[in-house]
Amino acid sequence: MTAPIQSDIDIWADDILVDPYPTYAELREQAAAVHLPKNDLYVLTRYDAIRDALGDPESFSSASIGFNPMVNGALQGTSLASDPPVHTQLRAVLSQNLTPRALRGLKVVIDEKADKLVAELADSGSFEAIDSLARAFPIEIVADLIGFQGHVKDNMLRWGQAAMQVLGPLNQRTQESFPIAGELYGWCSSVTAEDLAPGSIGRGIFDAEARGEIPEGSAGHIIHQYLGAGVDTTIASIGNIVALFGRHAEQFDLVRANPELVPAAFAEVLRYWAPVHIWGRKATRDVEIDGVTIPAGAQVGILFGAGNRDPRHYENPDTFDVTRNPVDHLSFGYGPHGCAGQGLAKLEAHAVIEALARRVQTLTIGDEVREPSNITRSIEKLQVEKVVAV
Amino acid sequence: MKIELDRPRCEGHGLCEEAAPQLMHLDDDGELVIDVPDVDGAELDAAKAAVRICPVAALRLAAA
Repeated sequence: MTAPIQSDIDIWADDILVDPYPTYAELREQAAAVHLPKNDLYVLTRYDAIRDALGDPESFSSASIGFNPMVNGALQGTSLASDPPVHTQLRAVLSQNLTPRALRGLKVVIDEKADKLVAELADSGSFEAIDSLARAFPIEIVADLIGFQGHVKDNMLRWGQAAMQVLGPLNQRTQESFPIAGELYGWCSSVTAEDLAPGSIGRGIFDAEARGEIPEGSAGHIIHQYLGAGVDTTIASIGNIVALFGRHAEQFDLVRANPELVPAAFAEVLRYWAPVHIWGRKATRDVEIDGVTIPAGAQVGILFGAGNRDPRHYENPDTFDVTRNPVDHLSFGYGPHGCAGQGLAKLEAHAVIEALARRVQTLTIGDEVREPSNITRSIEKLQVEKVVAV
Repeated sequence: MKIELDRPRCEGHGLCEEAAPQLMHLDDDGELVIDVPDVDGAELDAAKAAVRICPVAALRLAAA
């Protein structure tokens, strides 16, 4: 047993949440696993350690993906918070509507919607990119997909944000978000097939429950996870696309000139700015990582963004390079709990990047405004001061 | 070495096919088909790349 390597930082301090990359670099140079006594937490910082942990649910359980006991208790019995073999069945139910084969028919509609929205914004001369694109687009897609209507659609943004926020430690942000996350939970507990638009995937999930294909009562939980996991993260990713293309005009020009770079560009956006700051696991046994022992029972925090910038894995990791094509980035996680919605996320983001490449010549952006958030790292406001349409 | 597929875990993301189209493909229903399960030499390298890139860890290489 070796003495743990420690840092006295608070990983949820406001300044770190807004700009975590200098801290990630320090922690990563200290060790692959660093003990943070202030947070009662061991964080994983290097690429290999993170990927190995995500691929080893026997040693790193999902019993505590959140960082407070209330949220972990509330998530018990869901796919997100369970381990194989129970997880395997729950995951299959969750993902059957989200697999690339299930989504194949949606591509044309998603591409058309992205093109229409981006064309309007490109012609407008200037626009605020977060409300009018990063939020508007995924909310419309997910609402149509699941069949949300009326007041539910209006609540998707705040419910989705709160569902992520409450995974944090019991700080003020978490406390303030619990009542809002509770609204979402309450609605999902009472939602019925009739509340969802006919022909939607959400209606289909209830039909599957009525036919006995999925366990009774699970339809509401699935809807809850789609909304909780699929809104805030995608919003962050699309906001990051606009900000990074605005900051790196030469990279945007490369994508405009070579549309086949679209998937690589999105992978690089995800690698460069991870939408999810930290995600939890629990060590089920003493685990030694590069000479540091994480004791059995310890809360573990996975720093996706730190692993994505590990120079042991990526050359010039702090350079944003759309030709890199880092298909093995960590932002979707990896292994049995790897992001179930990554097929949909890619459809949405690729559609937005293709539309930007087709419709926009140049983007001039102001500084991105960020607010500290426990789990998701996203831009709050981003003014596109000048957009020149093709 | 032999390519093994954990069928229930496979969700058809298709990254393996991009990494090793000579060894596997998604059929018309989006189900993964391993065309060449036993691999060595250059095919082994492609198989390793496919195993590595699977986002849900549904593929592995085992002793033939």
